[in-house]
Amino acid sequence: MEIFEWIRLILGGGLVLCGLIIFLIELYGIFHLDYALNRMHAAAMGDTLGISFSLVGLMIFSGLNFTTLKMMLIVIFLWFASPVSSHLLAALEVTTNENLKEHCQVYDDLKILEKELKEEKEVTGGKEA
Amino acid sequence: MQINEKLTALEAVYHGMYMTVLVVLAIMLFACLIRAVKGPRVADRIVAVNMMGTMVMVMITVLSLLLEEGFLVDICLIYALVSFLAVIVITKVYVGVFRETQQNSPGAHEEIRNRNALETPGMGEGKEGV
Repeated sequence: MEIFEWIRLILGGGLVLCGLIIFLIELYGIFHLDYALNRMHAAAMGDTLGISFSLVGLMIFSGLNFTTLKMMLIVIFLWFASPVSSHLLAALEVTTNENLKEHCQVYDDLKILEKELKEEKEVTGGKEA
Repeated sequence: MQINEKLTALEAVYHGMYMTVLVVLAIMLFACLIRAVKGPRVADRIVAVNMMGTMVMVMITVLSLLLEEGFLVDICLIYALVSFLAVIVITKVYVGVFRETQQNSPGAHEEIRNRNALETPGMGEGKEGV
């Protein structure tokens, strides 16, 4: 049935095109953003979604195969592994940067943050009442 | 895909699409390399290399569908595992070396930071600090 072939082409091609567009957006974000932590955010999210869309589109091209199962395994492995490497890179950046206070807000103790949040809630609660 | 084979209309469309995807991904790969060279921090460079690895994974899979060889997807899977392991090892080693220099001499970080501050503004001024 030839109509199925054209449906497969349009669907798979659309998904692969979406994946390429997401990679392009991620590339723009890598160049435009200021600091290393912001760039890490763009890279992690863009990588995960871009490769997911691209590989799902290529799975549709490949049909019901053993190759399709291997591609699904790649996607599942990247979903597990990419957050771990992003976390480690962020820990590297925070640990080795001496001038972290210029780029983001640093709390030495967790209790200071909790006190600030409690004061903020009291102020907004007082305004509503 | 054989080299001297005549393609039907559908196969020609697939062939053209795979080639376009490969060329676009290759251009994006070079753009990531610019960020890897330029990035002021170490984490910038590791992030750029990780991105290059992900784009190479998509390229390998497209190539496996273009050449109709099923075993290239195994290479892609192993490449994903190795690049993940590389990021983990590099971060652990770098943080370990940083902590060690911090413990051995508390003043070593001041020296390293001053040397980096002298080297980064321009290319010609770095020779004074070293």
